[in-house]
Amino acid sequence: MTSRLKRKLGDIGVDSSSSKANESFCLIGTPLPPLEKSKDSGEFVPLWKQDVRDEQGRRRLHGAFTGGFSAGYFNTVGSKEGWTPSTFVSSRSDRAKQKGSRPEDFMDEEDLAELQEGRNLVDNNDEMDLLGGTQAELRQKGGVEEPEKDAITSALEASMLPSPKDSAGARILKKMGWRVGQGIGPRITWRQRKLQDLQASTGPEVDVNSILDDEDTEEAKKHTYAPRDTPILLVDRKDNAHGLGYKPGMRLNDTLGVGKRAEGPKGPNLSAGFGLGALNDADEDDLDVYDGSFKQARRHMAYDASERDEDDEIVIGTKQHSGRSKPSPRSASSIQIFNNGRPVLAGFVLSEKPVAEDRWFPLPDIPKGWSPNPKRIWEKNKENVESSQKPQDPSQPVPHAKWRAGISADERGIMLGETPLPSAPRSVFEYISQKDRERIQNIASGAAGAAPSTGPTPEPGPSQRPSIVVPYMEAHIAQAALRGFQPFTTDHVKQARYTAYLNSQATPDPGRDIGFVPIGMMPGQKIDEFNKELSDYAKAAAIFKPISGAMAGRFTSAAVVENAPKIVEGLHTPSVESENARAIAEAQAKAMDASVEKEEETPKAHAARMGMYGRLTREVMLWQPAKLLCKRFGVKDPNPEPVVDASTAPAPPSANPGATDSSVPDIPAFTGTESFRAPSGAGLTGRQGASGQGRKDPSNVGLGDDDDQGRDTLTYERPAMDIFKAIFASDEEDSDEDEDAKMDQDDDKLSAVASSGVPLAIGGTKKIDTASFKPTFIPRDGKKSKDKDKGKKDRKKKGERTIVSFDLDEDGGESLSLSLPKEKSKDRPKKKKRKDKDRKEDAEDDDESMWVEKPPPEAVKGVAASPPESMNVDAAEQAADRGRKKAIDFW
Amino acid sequence: MAPSRGPQPLPRTLHKTLANHKGPIHVARYSKGTATYVLTGGADRTIRLWNANLGTEIKTFAAHGYEVLSVCVSHDNSKFASSGGDRSIFLWDVTAGATTRRLPGHMGKINVVEFNEDSTVLASGSYDASVRLWDLRSQPRQPIQVLEEARDAVQTIHVGPTSIITGSVDGHVRTYDLRKGELRTDYIGHPITSLLPTADSQTLLVTTLDSHVRLLDLSTGQMLNTFKGHTGKEYRVRACFGAAEASVVCGDEEGRIWGWDLVDASILQPNPPPKVHEKVITWTEHHPSDPGEMITASADGTCIVWRHPNGMVGA
Repeated sequence: MTSRLKRKLGDIGVDSSSSKANESFCLIGTPLPPLEKSKDSGEFVPLWKQDVRDEQGRRRLHGAFTGGFSAGYFNTVGSKEGWTPSTFVSSRSDRAKQKGSRPEDFMDEEDLAELQEGRNLVDNNDEMDLLGGTQAELRQKGGVEEPEKDAITSALEASMLPSPKDSAGARILKKMGWRVGQGIGPRITWRQRKLQDLQASTGPEVDVNSILDDEDTEEAKKHTYAPRDTPILLVDRKDNAHGLGYKPGMRLNDTLGVGKRAEGPKGPNLSAGFGLGALNDADEDDLDVYDGSFKQARRHMAYDASERDEDDEIVIGTKQHSGRSKPSPRSASSIQIFNNGRPVLAGFVLSEKPVAEDRWFPLPDIPKGWSPNPKRIWEKNKENVESSQKPQDPSQPVPHAKWRAGISADERGIMLGETPLPSAPRSVFEYISQKDRERIQNIASGAAGAAPSTGPTPEPGPSQRPSIVVPYMEAHIAQAALRGFQPFTTDHVKQARYTAYLNSQATPDPGRDIGFVPIGMMPGQKIDEFNKELSDYAKAAAIFKPISGAMAGRFTSAAVVENAPKIVEGLHTPSVESENARAIAEAQAKAMDASVEKEEETPKAHAARMGMYGRLTREVMLWQPAKLLCKRFGVKDPNPEPVVDASTAPAPPSANPGATDSSVPDIPAFTGTESFRAPSGAGLTGRQGASGQGRKDPSNVGLGDDDDQGRDTLTYERPAMDIFKAIFASDEEDSDEDEDAKMDQDDDKLSAVASSGVPLAIGGTKKIDTASFKPTFIPRDGKKSKDKDKGKKDRKKKGERTIVSFDLDEDGGESLSLSLPKEKSKDRPKKKKRKDKDRKEDAEDDDESMWVEKPPPEAVKGVAASPPESMNVDAAEQAADRGRKKAIDFW
Repeated sequence: MAPSRGPQPLPRTLHKTLANHKGPIHVARYSKGTATYVLTGGADRTIRLWNANLGTEIKTFAAHGYEVLSVCVSHDNSKFASSGGDRSIFLWDVTAGATTRRLPGHMGKINVVEFNEDSTVLASGSYDASVRLWDLRSQPRQPIQVLEEARDAVQTIHVGPTSIITGSVDGHVRTYDLRKGELRTDYIGHPITSLLPTADSQTLLVTTLDSHVRLLDLSTGQMLNTFKGHTGKEYRVRACFGAAEASVVCGDEEGRIWGWDLVDASILQPNPPPKVHEKVITWTEHHPSDPGEMITASADGTCIVWRHPNGMVGA
């Protein structure tokens, strides 16, 4: 502060020494950074020290383990409540407007700011876009049809509306003297400009001189002009399903450049027949594609804002021609006249070129008596093929194939009657001896059968003809295919050829050539066709050979023979001979079918059809029932394993005459129980299960199965009580295991007895010590005898048993109930009650009741038990005797 | 009726009509023993137990998901087996009214199930042309044996004491003899719908789809008699023997019950018999002991118990 200033201030009355007066407003140098760290000091901070803070300087992002509530709470959409959905309120007075939600609705301030920045960029780009990025053009491209502005409107718009901002390039061009609407380049003369116009427009018929020699061009020729603006070809993106080059509303005439029409100001016609909803806009697909009245006039210029001149119209897309650019010469004479004097309809033009007419040839003269018969042609062909081997008769017509193949020099010479030159033989067959050749011919003709052979014949034709390839097939496949499904049954000829082929392949002849052809070619068949046929046969054989192995038994072939109508190629010519031939053929086929069916019908079927049942219809074969099945049925295994056979061989097979006698004593205890069948059925099977499992042990072998083994058990001492319980207490399978264990012991004992040679105790007269007799368990013979001659009793007993379960509503008046034993009927209500209870318990009770008191001796028992049974049996048989007939009655 | 040498006339007086089934009845079987009850199975997927005397339905067994084609009562009447469209055999407890076991394994619908004499083995014949033999004393998942000789659906099975006889659509009667271990195949030539041997197991009544019922000698395979006159060309119809096996009874597809003399194959009076069912008679079964009672089941949804008119019983 200078002294002068001090003095002045002092004069005013300001204290010059005060801090206010000494305030300095100048800063010299760069200030030092503040001592405490500022938030955005811009200095380098290592990554691990950086943290993110919001606009208020609060740390809002935390690590994964430190974020927790804060991160979830504050990093939401910015409010404590998070994002709240807007409520929809609408009332009659205040209608809610349906508003679509924009992306901006879901953005926070940051997002909106970013969006704003992005917008600005886009806007700038839009302004810079030269290629029709302006709003107007975008609108045009979007298909929104704005009515054509007339000149006044556009002028008004241009003056009133702010001019669009120019792009940088446009500004530069403007500074260089370019103006909107002009082309770029050096200025040109009038004539050049006119020529440019001509080039731009596509009318070739324009008379250049007529334009150039206009009278008002005198003045114009004195100046130079800016060149015309270069039209920019805008290629629209193809987003419709129309064909290439097609524009909606284009007609055939338009594509041809004919039939110009005045363009109506209307919009496009919608195609009829398809309704459009009130809310639907007419899409391009809805337009009437056949409606030619609407044409889109769309001009794309680089700058089309000004100088809208009719001359400048450059049409892209549609072929709309301006009147000047294409003055039609015919338009002068507006009415055209056909050469016959009639005027041409309005809207039509005469074609310059005459219409090219289709050439029609007159029908050839059909000889009298000719009828179409393609077969004759084939026959002729056949003859010709044959005759081609021998020197050709020139008078004979040459077949088409021959002509196509061309005539060799030799043939031509023969035709001309020249003496053939001695030349080297050309065919392979000419090298082989005459005998071999004959042999081959014979084989070929023999195998061909009905079809004439042309295949392997020595043909002097060109050697590059395709050779016959016989597909090789394994002999066994061919044999199997012969037995299997025949695929060509509808076509007899094909079937015969197929069979011949298979036969040839099934019986491989070592002396035969590999390429031996079993069948000849069909007349008119080419070699490649023949090869294809052969390969088809090979494929068919591979496919239709019967399935071998395990799958074979799964299928049976249908007995129905396909009899589809045979299809004959060629035209149908119902002539008398062919009819006759067909009738004969049909008869033959029928006879053949009949014979085939006769053959197929086995003697068995024949006998059955004739009603001769008996030996012819019966087949007996071996059948091995499962071991368990035999056990369940109480039958000895009919085909036992060899080991078992050896041990049981001494025993008589099954029907021991002694066993069939009724003398085998009943086991008294069993007859009284509810289960008469138990020893023969349930108990027996259980025992067999045991023996079946114990069969591995040689000492046990066959004991359970052998009928004779149990006979001696009459003299056998009674086993322990629990064995019986274990055996007969329950017929449930779960007790089978311990049963087995018990039975093993049992079997041991039995075998011991059996081996001791105790004589068999059979016969009713057998003396039994009633005091010491104890009922024992007899596995087999009881069952046998019962099976044989007590079947009736058996059934009765079963009937008694059945009462047990169904006796709830039983009326006691049934005749069979009379035969019920007393204790049984007493037992009934008890049984009824615990019907659903454990049957094991039930059986145990019975066992106890059966074993506690000593059973009566054999003879007594027999007397006591038999009378009602025999009565019943007698009654039944008496009833049956009246009507029953046995097989023997018919002899 | 005047005493004559011919067989007893068929019971033709309607005693009761069992008509609770909603659809065709495929099978009707008497219970074993005194045969007081009748089990019927039908297309309405139920099996119904009836008192034949009173004509009342006692119970309905409903567990099948498809039609019931076959029912078989065990020897002690405590359980029965049924089969049908749902490829499993159902074993039922009569009193509980629920299935105790279900035996899956067949690949097609099961046309027939049959117990053996003491209900330890169950034979089932199916559309898959196999016969499966199931052990009922254990709980295996696999059958004891599968008889796959049939070339077409097995329609009927008879399980005898020592043999299993099957009849198949392929026209063969196959006798599996367990004792001899051989299979005897008799060719009949027409699809077989039912088999029934006589009580002496010497002859076999074979019903085929050529409108014939044949009596076959089981030992030689010869045909002893042919009964014809009825129509049976499309449906499985079961024929049976009349009273005391003196006659043959078969229903036909028009709802008539035909009877023949077993010996001379003459049609019993009336000839032709009256039409008693609306539709095909699918099953005839004679009462096993009462000579004057018979049941017929029909596709018209009824099962009818026939008896002699009062006073003629036992005539």
